[in-house]
Amino acid sequence: MMVVRSLSEPQEVTIADADDLVRAGKDEEAIVAYTAAGGELPSASVCLSLARCHERLGSRGEAFRWALEVARAGDDFRSWQAAAALARRTEDSADPPRRSARLALLGSYTTKQLATMLWLAARSLGVSLELYESAFAQYRQEIIDPHSEMYQFGPDLILLAVHAGELDLPLYSDAPADTISSEVERWRTLWALVAERSSATVLQHLFALPADAPFGHLGATLPGARATLAQAVNAALAAAAAPAHVAVVDCERLASLVGKRHWFDRRYWHIAWQAVALDALPLLARHTAAVAASTLGLAKKCLVLDLDNTLWGGIVGEDGLHGISLGDGPAGEPFLDFQRSVLALKQRGVILAVCSKNNESDAKEVFEQHPGMIIGLDDVAAFVADWRPKPEQLRAVAADLSLGLDSLVFVDDNPAEREAVRQFLPEVDVVTLPSDPSQYVDALNDYLLFEPASFTAEDLRRTEQYRGRRAAATAAAAATTIEDFYRSLEMSCVVSPFTEGDLPRLAQLVGKTNQFNLTTRRHSANALQQFASRPDCVHLSFRLTDRLADHGLVALVIAFQNGDALDVDTWLMSCRVIGRSLEATMAQELARAAGARDCNTVVATYVPSERNALAAGILSTLGFRQVDDQDGATRWAYGLNTQPPIVNEHIVVRRSR
Amino acid sequence: MHDQLQQVFRDVFGNDAIVLTDETTADDIAEWDSLGHVNLMFAIEETFGVLFRGNQLAEFENVGELERFLEANATVRPG
Repeated sequence: MMVVRSLSEPQEVTIADADDLVRAGKDEEAIVAYTAAGGELPSASVCLSLARCHERLGSRGEAFRWALEVARAGDDFRSWQAAAALARRTEDSADPPRRSARLALLGSYTTKQLATMLWLAARSLGVSLELYESAFAQYRQEIIDPHSEMYQFGPDLILLAVHAGELDLPLYSDAPADTISSEVERWRTLWALVAERSSATVLQHLFALPADAPFGHLGATLPGARATLAQAVNAALAAAAAPAHVAVVDCERLASLVGKRHWFDRRYWHIAWQAVALDALPLLARHTAAVAASTLGLAKKCLVLDLDNTLWGGIVGEDGLHGISLGDGPAGEPFLDFQRSVLALKQRGVILAVCSKNNESDAKEVFEQHPGMIIGLDDVAAFVADWRPKPEQLRAVAADLSLGLDSLVFVDDNPAEREAVRQFLPEVDVVTLPSDPSQYVDALNDYLLFEPASFTAEDLRRTEQYRGRRAAATAAAAATTIEDFYRSLEMSCVVSPFTEGDLPRLAQLVGKTNQFNLTTRRHSANALQQFASRPDCVHLSFRLTDRLADHGLVALVIAFQNGDALDVDTWLMSCRVIGRSLEATMAQELARAAGARDCNTVVATYVPSERNALAAGILSTLGFRQVDDQDGATRWAYGLNTQPPIVNEHIVVRRSR
Repeated sequence: MHDQLQQVFRDVFGNDAIVLTDETTADDIAEWDSLGHVNLMFAIEETFGVLFRGNQLAEFENVGELERFLEANATVRPG
């Protein structure tokens, strides 16, 4: 009898099934199974299995390609080790690399494994490295001896892979400045010797500082303590590097990223002089390779962004301008956060482009109209929004900007679009966004080929914002009074009547704000919409921006006219902007609205709740006078004609209609 | 366990011809030098979720003894 597996219930293929097929010698079927089970981003070990299957089947080019994928699929030492060996065996069947370079690896610890990892990491970035490795810890001799094997090798790049044990620093120094400068001088001398004897670029690993703290936390306060000295040496070396045309890899940052106990495993140091734990080596290799690639001119220039569900949540063509998530609230914050990261790249020199399947007018409207957008149309050098396939759109972007396709990096939330670009435009790098938008920022940060080869302050000074910020930073440093502090924040506020687009956020604030909330009346979105249509209702929303951040829509008031009094129903403010004098601006705007309606009094009620004690004294501070007290709820009044005007000079107000 | 360990050896030493028996020692595998030793130690720790004390790996008589240690101590059962 034949057993037919029902097609309507496809069975999930697992990695274990694929492994079984390999053991049964069925490599072709195993490839299908691994591909199905691995998904868009197979793990390093699955990439390795695929590479092996292809190698056994004789498809060496594919084997090589999958071995390189290992370096992109996770920092798994064992898979890297095996993949490097396989890639070296099959490299002759691969497409030629973008560049070749000769790299001399001069280490202060056992660097055999690093050499292997580095070769694989570089090859996956398109650089084929020919490596020379110095004998154990011979880095100084190799540089000082003009006839050393290292110079005879004729390197393009010299990597100083050194660890903190090489720092010659006392436990404590009486003259820290001298100690630091003499230590820095030791390293600069090595750089200078290289510059004299070779045309190679030096790549210097800065020091991952040990976690030992013989002085405890007090050590941080002692300029002469060893850890403090080491930090200063790192900083001074980094500062001296650029003028000396030396590129650095900030190992201290990498060690912090993985955790210092993880970075330095004492057992491996004792057994084999391994100063970087083996499973931290892939990370170190990837970053070192990226810096090397950048010095070879291979860094990417342009970030090409999808829009829907990439720069904002939702689909503007379907959800409408006010239906998308961006900015306020948990659904919109991750996208705002991502936009900040993108904008930071732009400000330091990466070109931004847009490629979106959208009506151009819909897409541009978001940039022009949405209050949450921080990337402006003028930040985007090329804007392609139409209905062509993404590979075609990317070609249009490249042509528009006169860039090669290999300068582009593509970011899209949609796996199908990413796959299309990988297939049709292999020259374009693709950043795979995770399904959770909160992790977009990390995914972008993990992409290493935006590593700049050089940077001058002029690059940044061009942007208006930077100039403003520097001045503001000076002011903030000097602030000693609360008024100075408010001034230093350079706050501005957009005051607007409720709009339909703001309704979800307004309802969220009304539903959730507890602390700074005078009455804690919970109104539904529908109720808010009805209020907004009543002629006797004053409804205002407040968006606050300061020199550091745009806080978005953070406060609102609802008040009803009752004869010649304007009676406040709801007055609330998000806790993230408490302590910035925004309440005074709100009072100022309430008084203004009251005056415009020929009212002579603003009346407000404070209803104590379990959580709003914070707001208890605020009305009195603002100049309101208590007029009544019923069961703890207090009524307050401010006379427009009998009391001094409320003016908050610390927040510049822009009123929108 | 045996298959997994054999795969680790093959990965680490880049030699798919390696076949492990209980009696296998470092002398039987050309690639098992001091560097290979460290890589092997790390790969075994990572794969089976064990932590060797110091240079414990060097103290096992042969692969059989290592396998018995892993049977008793592995916290991860790959595959």
